[in-house]
Amino acid sequence: MINYQLKTFEKGDKTTTIGGAVKSLGPLLRDEVRPIVISLVAVIVNSGANLLSPFIIAYIIDKYIATKDFHGVLMYSGILAVIYLLGLVAAYVQTKVMGGVGRRVLFKLRNRIFTKLQELPVAFFNANKAGDLISRINSDTDKLNQFFSQALLQFFGNIFLMFGAGAFLLLLNVRLGAASLAPALIVIVITQLLSTWINRTSRTSLQALGGMSAEIQESLANFKVVVAFNRLDYFRVKFDSANKENYSASVKAGVASNILTPIYGVASNAAQIVMLAYGIVLIASGNLTVGFLIGFLLYVNNFYTPLRQLASVWSSLQLALASLDRISEVLGLGSDIKVIESGKKAPPSAAAAVLSFDRVFFSYTDDKEVLRDVSFALEKGKTYALVGPTGGGKTTTASLMARLYDPSMGTVYLGGRDIRSYEAGERAGKIGFILQEPFLFSGTVGENILYGNEEYGSYSNEKLLGVLEARGLGGLLARFEKGLDTNVGASDSISLGQKQLVAFIRAVLRAPELLILDEATANIDTVTEQLLEEILRKLPKETTKVIIAHRLNTIENADDIFFVNAGTVVHAGSFAHALEMLMSGKRAS
Amino acid sequence: MIAEEKKPGLVSILKPYKGLVFLLVILTILPSALNLVVPKIISNAIDDFAQGGFVLRTVVIEFSVVAILIFILTYLQSVAQVYAAERVARDLRTKVAAKISRQDYSFIDRATPAKLLTNLTSDVDAVKSFIAQAISSIVSSVFLIIGASVLLLMTDWRLALAVLAVVPFIGATFYFVLAKVRKLFLRAQAAIDWLNKVINESILGSALIRLVNSQAQEYGKFTKANVEARDISLDILSLFAALVPVITFLTNVATLIIVVLGGHFIIAGSLSLGGFTAFNNYLAILIFPILILGFMSNVIAQADASYARIADVLVSPDAKDGGTRKAALTGAISFRNVTLQKGEKPILKDVSFEAKPGTRTAIIGPTAAGKTQLLYVLTGLARPDAGAVRYDGVDIGEYDKQSLYSQIGFVFQDSILFNLTLRENIAFSNTVSDEGLKRAIDTAELGDFVDALPDRLDTVVSERGTSLSGGQKQRVMLARALALEPKILLLDDFTARVDVRTERKILKNVRDNYPGLTLISVTQKIVSVEDYDQIVLLEDGEIIARGTHAELMKNSPEYVQIFDSQESTEHL
Repeated sequence: MINYQLKTFEKGDKTTTIGGAVKSLGPLLRDEVRPIVISLVAVIVNSGANLLSPFIIAYIIDKYIATKDFHGVLMYSGILAVIYLLGLVAAYVQTKVMGGVGRRVLFKLRNRIFTKLQELPVAFFNANKAGDLISRINSDTDKLNQFFSQALLQFFGNIFLMFGAGAFLLLLNVRLGAASLAPALIVIVITQLLSTWINRTSRTSLQALGGMSAEIQESLANFKVVVAFNRLDYFRVKFDSANKENYSASVKAGVASNILTPIYGVASNAAQIVMLAYGIVLIASGNLTVGFLIGFLLYVNNFYTPLRQLASVWSSLQLALASLDRISEVLGLGSDIKVIESGKKAPPSAAAAVLSFDRVFFSYTDDKEVLRDVSFALEKGKTYALVGPTGGGKTTTASLMARLYDPSMGTVYLGGRDIRSYEAGERAGKIGFILQEPFLFSGTVGENILYGNEEYGSYSNEKLLGVLEARGLGGLLARFEKGLDTNVGASDSISLGQKQLVAFIRAVLRAPELLILDEATANIDTVTEQLLEEILRKLPKETTKVIIAHRLNTIENADDIFFVNAGTVVHAGSFAHALEMLMSGKRAS
Repeated sequence: MIAEEKKPGLVSILKPYKGLVFLLVILTILPSALNLVVPKIISNAIDDFAQGGFVLRTVVIEFSVVAILIFILTYLQSVAQVYAAERVARDLRTKVAAKISRQDYSFIDRATPAKLLTNLTSDVDAVKSFIAQAISSIVSSVFLIIGASVLLLMTDWRLALAVLAVVPFIGATFYFVLAKVRKLFLRAQAAIDWLNKVINESILGSALIRLVNSQAQEYGKFTKANVEARDISLDILSLFAALVPVITFLTNVATLIIVVLGGHFIIAGSLSLGGFTAFNNYLAILIFPILILGFMSNVIAQADASYARIADVLVSPDAKDGGTRKAALTGAISFRNVTLQKGEKPILKDVSFEAKPGTRTAIIGPTAAGKTQLLYVLTGLARPDAGAVRYDGVDIGEYDKQSLYSQIGFVFQDSILFNLTLRENIAFSNTVSDEGLKRAIDTAELGDFVDALPDRLDTVVSERGTSLSGGQKQRVMLARALALEPKILLLDDFTARVDVRTERKILKNVRDNYPGLTLISVTQKIVSVEDYDQIVLLEDGEIIARGTHAELMKNSPEYVQIFDSQESTEHL
């Protein structure tokens, strides 16, 4: 069994390097080779233009200004103007093309995250707080967004400019160049030393932020309990501690990440003074001209300004790497719900059954078994009821029927074949499941009814209404103020009972072979419930129904009743027999 | 351009931090000023050297002192900036949270938790970046622009004017592009919000998606949002791709002016080589702040919009402070002519009923009849538009909330578990005694369940209660209400997820262990409430019938209809 619990706290033990990041982004960069090459050329032209100009200026000073030849000044200024124009075009191409690469990579990365979220099994979502998961995905993609759409460009352009300027400095005069680059080397070493600290603090700060959002979300969502139990102080106290923790983590992260900028500033100044002092010594000994000293000072700017900008980009790079790290953790997870080649055939006894369990064991976590050695078979067209005390394993049994989970041991057969050998689409077409806690997407009732429905998915409201009437589902819409157009959402705009109605219509409309109702009508009044029963009765004869309910009238019509208790599923036969067992049964231990 | 953006609202939050902001401004100006000195030192050194009066030691010492000072001051400035920003953010969050905690439930319901979450997180973050970036950036930019311009003019005013002539062009380009970009930014934010909504719903609805295998449909929704986000960001990119090179080019034009015109002046003998170098250096200092100012106007606009949203929450009136009455309740309830509306939709229409101390009242009715809202009004979670709720003949508003809520136990329909231990979840109110806790657990038949847990009462139950079954969660909710030792117990569809046998046992336990309790139970099952003192039938927000089971069976056809729908199981 895969452990889907995401790490919530890391003490900076693992740090993604840039190389590691490129590796993990590698597949996304593959299609971008051409634009990357184009922008590289543009970068080289642009950097070349940028680097050539101080050289020309130095040349103008030494050759023409010093000799008072204004005509030469004008001529070389013309060349300079052409170079600047070239730089203008190259810079545009560079930004546009490289920016496009960044945005497309982000686009693909988002796609991959989302695809992964769709691949992962229900167990993953149950193992992680919804609030934390949402904040993690949202804020981490946002950090990556900021990096890819802004910082990456600066990063890219500046690196070239910096290396170019460095090369020029060394080419023009090795000793002077080396002297002026020495401070940069020291700075890079310092940066390396500091990066662990910066990484650690920024990671902690991100986690504190996630924790705070989760805290706020939980408290606000449960506010009515907080009010009714007079625990506004709970909200305040919990929030205050999360807020304080976030504050101190953010301050620490800020203090750490802000150290780099001044260090780079001091390095740039140090290089200038070295250059000035050493340069003047060289001029005095006739090894350098004044023009070239001025040119050199410009190159030093060309080297250290990008370096300084890199420093400010560095922190956003660090944040992006930390985010990429956290996202990679999700991307690295696999689904344990895989489609297998060809499963075992059902034992002959259950070959004709729509669905059967063969010696199924199951546990959510390793410590407690929820189902123990469960075997039963469901026949086509019959109605089954699962009854039993709360916590006995009814919902778990139903979840295994729909393959929300796989058994830890044993096999579930669907139509005589191992359920694991079905493609998800085929399986979903056969099984309808109305969940205990109905979920509606924001939108209208009509959109929610058609959700995931391939057959009627594109129907207009009028056509859908026709279909619903034909299936006897039309009457249920009277419970909604504006019928199919009633707006529903995540908030409390409609009642729990109404949500269950939508979920019911949604599942029945799909006309599954096996329909599972997990206390699906618990909050619906009995008159409406009779309507629902009428609808269920009108379903095609082949439809097998599994009903989990406490209200006995809903299971009275069942052909067969299973008693689920303490991890066992016992065939209880008739309604009367089941009642007897229920009334004398033991509760789950 | 900048001054217009700053509405008094945003600046007003800085008032309590005057000292800190002042420190920040000082720490910003000092290194900026020192940065202006650096080119001067270099140009003087070059000129001194040309004139033969160059002393290496002095230059090195001067330069080193300045560089070290810049280093220290810049770091202090950034620390002050982080500190100020985070402190304002923390205090702002505390203020919003305090405001929320003074509100009643209807406020949260109206404002929606999602919006409040945004207020507390991303809106506060926008204000934070205003302080972290905008203040010192603007101060240092303005200072550097003015300072560099003045120094240029002092060095050679003719050349300076020629160079500064480029600046308005840079400003105009910037202003033009940013105006366009700002609109795109708004659309980009909307696209990101949309994207996040799709992701969020796919997380919350993960089980459903897997059951109906609608991953493709989700992916379709997501792709649409993602494509939109990408396209907008590419549009923004196109504008920026033009912006930066154009500005660089304009800066280069200024360099060209320096070379040609400056060269001419040097040749004519009116400018020194040192001055020429200084010009190039000051130009580099001058351009960057102009760009910064443009970007900051965006940060300010965003922070301003965010702060306006936060201010909306902060200025909303506090919930009317409850009364001061702290009497012990007898359990007599009177619900008089209550009307409740949500928007235009009437939820309850002129609903009245009474409950005597120690009696049991059932409220039944179809889905969306307004049953839950009736309980909300009863507890003050929703405030009625007309009518009154009275306990012992005294209006609910006159009671001290703390005293009232400690005497009313409310078992909500949906299971709400906090990310706390089971003990803390049950003894959620502060007034619960150990004895009360034990009695509540026994009454809710949770004893065996608790004993089976690895850490018993100290087991942490997960956020959405996924590790507990529906019925277990419901019973925890009941135990939480009972732990208050209430005089009045409100059950909202409590029995929906608890099996019949357990339900019977629990309700019997409640009667045995909490004698004299006034019970109001919203339910679907007539069979469990047949012997209640009164049954209220609610439909579409109106009371259709009221009376004992026997009376209703005689007088109310609607009741009989419901009864008949359940009759088949009556013999149980």
